Amino acid sequence: MSVGYGRELALEDVSLHVAPGGAVALIGPNGAGKSTLLKAILGLLPLADGRVKVLGRRPEDAREHVGYVQQADTLDPEFPVSVVQVVLMGRYRAVGWFRRPGAADRRQAMEALAEVGLADRARDRFGTLSGGQRQRVLLARAIAQGAQLLLLDEPFNGLDATTSDILIEVLARLRADGVGVVMSTHDLAVAHLTCGEACVLNRRRVAYGPIGEAITPGTLAEAYGSRAVLLASGATVVTTNG
Amino acid sequence: MARLLLDPFRDAYMRRALVEILVLCGLAGVVSVYVLLRRLAFVGDALTHTIFPGIAIAFVVGRSLFVGALLAGLASAVLLTAATRIRRIDHDAALGVLVGAFFSLGVVVVSTRTSYTADLTALLFGRILTVDTTEIIETTAIAAAVLTVLTLVHKELVLRSFDPIAAEAMGYRVVLLDLLVNALVALVVVAGVRAVGTVLVIALLVVPGAIARLVGERVGPMLVVSVAAAGLCGYLGLAASYEASLNYGVRLGSGSTVVVALTIAFILTAGAAALLRRRGAGRAAPGAAVTAAP
Amino acid sequence: MRILDQLGSPLIRRALLEAVLVGALCGAVGVHVLLRRLPFFTLALSHATFPGVVLASILGVSVYLGGAVAALGLVLAVAAIGATRRLEASTATGVALAGAFALGVLLQSAQSSATRNLAGFLVGDILTVTVGDLAMTALFGLVVVATLTVFHKELVLSAFDPVAARAAGYATTRLEVLVLACVALTVVTSLRAVGTILSVALLVTPALAARQWTTDIGPAMALGAAFGAAAGLGGIAASAQWDVAGGSAIALAATALLAVAVAVQQARRLVGRQAWRRGPASPEGVPLP
Repeated sequence: MSVGYGRELALEDVSLHVAPGGAVALIGPNGAGKSTLLKAILGLLPLADGRVKVLGRRPEDAREHVGYVQQADTLDPEFPVSVVQVVLMGRYRAVGWFRRPGAADRRQAMEALAEVGLADRARDRFGTLSGGQRQRVLLARAIAQGAQLLLLDEPFNGLDATTSDILIEVLARLRADGVGVVMSTHDLAVAHLTCGEACVLNRRRVAYGPIGEAITPGTLAEAYGSRAVLLASGATVVTTNG
Repeated sequence: MARLLLDPFRDAYMRRALVEILVLCGLAGVVSVYVLLRRLAFVGDALTHTIFPGIAIAFVVGRSLFVGALLAGLASAVLLTAATRIRRIDHDAALGVLVGAFFSLGVVVVSTRTSYTADLTALLFGRILTVDTTEIIETTAIAAAVLTVLTLVHKELVLRSFDPIAAEAMGYRVVLLDLLVNALVALVVVAGVRAVGTVLVIALLVVPGAIARLVGERVGPMLVVSVAAAGLCGYLGLAASYEASLNYGVRLGSGSTVVVALTIAFILTAGAAALLRRRGAGRAAPGAAVTAAP
Repeated sequence: MRILDQLGSPLIRRALLEAVLVGALCGAVGVHVLLRRLPFFTLALSHATFPGVVLASILGVSVYLGGAVAALGLVLAVAAIGATRRLEASTATGVALAGAFALGVLLQSAQSSATRNLAGFLVGDILTVTVGDLAMTALFGLVVVATLTVFHKELVLSAFDPVAARAAGYATTRLEVLVLACVALTVVTSLRAVGTILSVALLVTPALAARQWTTDIGPAMALGAAFGAAAGLGGIAASAQWDVAGGSAIALAATALLAVAVAVQQARRLVGRQAWRRGPASPEGVPLP
């Protein structure tokens, strides 16, 4: 598929497939089209050509079953809403219009919060949490939603070790339960820990396949240009500024 | 004291004014919280101006002002929603243009009449003291409709205010939710503008929510505080303007007295909140240092 | 055109000159209003001059002085409310706007001749402009335009990238206050011509029309001034033609200009898009914020 903003195509000729329980890491420099790809999977951007099928449906029709975890620092920290209320938002589509979340929804929200280690902060205001904790709350929201496909936009950016560990653990548990994962990241180590496959992008697909084969010094150099530094030991380090 | 608070409402016209003010304050108190959450202060203010041409045209052609305001209100809600979605033009600029264009249109229409000045004044001040039972019924009907809709879509509106990207990702049509809120705000303006004037409507849409946010940390309690603050100030403002004009010979417009009461309430609340926080911060500081350690 | 027959009247000549001067000033300053996203603040500012104007007319001092003092009060009030941090800028502006406007109406209603001057303050009364008013407009206009010209590059930098400006050692808060002061002075100056409520129309609309044509700040200011002056001319002509309120006619003329500017731009972009479809050679893509 190809996705365009205005006159320029942000992404061309990308195709990938996520099986239930599978996980694909989207690797590429800033502006490579990682977020664009995630938004296309959500059906939030018009496609220039090609098609996206999510859970066998059009992306617009599948959104209820797709969890989207964005970076928590885009949200207003002063907003008067408690942690558990944020997690409950994940249940809203299942609850439906005109009705309030019931006891079962609250239980699910609390379980999701417990899974990310924040059950004791349920009644605190969202903005009083640290950046990593807020990110975990958004993950809990996706868990509570009961999504079958999880899309994560740079979830590991600038996070503390506890949060990274919990994220890795939770993603492994969700995959074991058959949830598909697509995650954009700069962090190659995290990509190896959480995903079986990788798609290296830079406006187009550079490489795609099992993570060990897709991420090679050659593909990284192609995607990142001079910012991929090949070390003497054979490892590749990507320098980023975001 | 009791005399000061009860005496003004002996007369039937003052009782009608009180009922109208209280219904409006209750309605606006609730809507004001959503205005705060969605940051719609400018949209609310814009709506008080964009409804004007509807009233002006209805006035000039001799039709019901209520219907004129209603049509203009709903039309401008649609236009304002559309204007804030043009990506090439800054939202605030689009609103500024609409305010100028609509209001000028109203003034141009009214200025073809000779009673120009008096009509404009009535629109600004409102004429709460001459409110009749029909108007109270109309206001109450609007209030009931708006509050019912808000109850039904409360959770979706809060989600959209807090996290529009997630709302869209979950499959909500954000533009429809925005249109709905703008239409509800427009209805509040329609309900209030004839009785209490644009000045009071702007204030009622912004100040109670701001007071509530100074006090409350959650949406639920904020709704309670907002309605209480609006109702109390409405009551006190009306009583004070009556008292001033009857016993002291100072003619204070009732609508603007209510707004001044609201503004004073805001200043007092802000002062009290700042004081409390300073004392609270002094106490909490050592504890905070400990919890920050791990 | 009835306006041509009326040019003999000094009343009309003064009104025309005032409309052109105010239009040009607002059109130029408006570019900075758009740049810093100040339209709502400008609206609040224009409402807030109202109590000052009323008080000044009660006390018998200059309405310009009253308006300027009240505008300064609003800037301080918004800053104070914003400092609480729990309320974001638009709420702070809204609260200050409502309070100030109500104060003006209250003062006005306490005055014995309640409705006499009200409409004039709110929507302007351009036919009553005196030679003294004209001189005042010219003087204030010169001060504002000179200020914006002298500090042009610093103002543009601090609007575009406040962090970089601060890092480069500029006092960004002082620059912001400078712009706000210029906007306040412009609002006060335009009181006579278009009144408190409509000054926002003249401060936003011509500048927005200019921004359809150029993204460069300097030329946009010149073009905005030209559009504003044209709106002033057209508005007064329309007001004479159909005998409607002058200030509002000016605001509507500005809106019509904007509509034309947007339509022409839209047509140009449509043509450009078709050219792009035919071949890869794409014309300039004008990115506006």
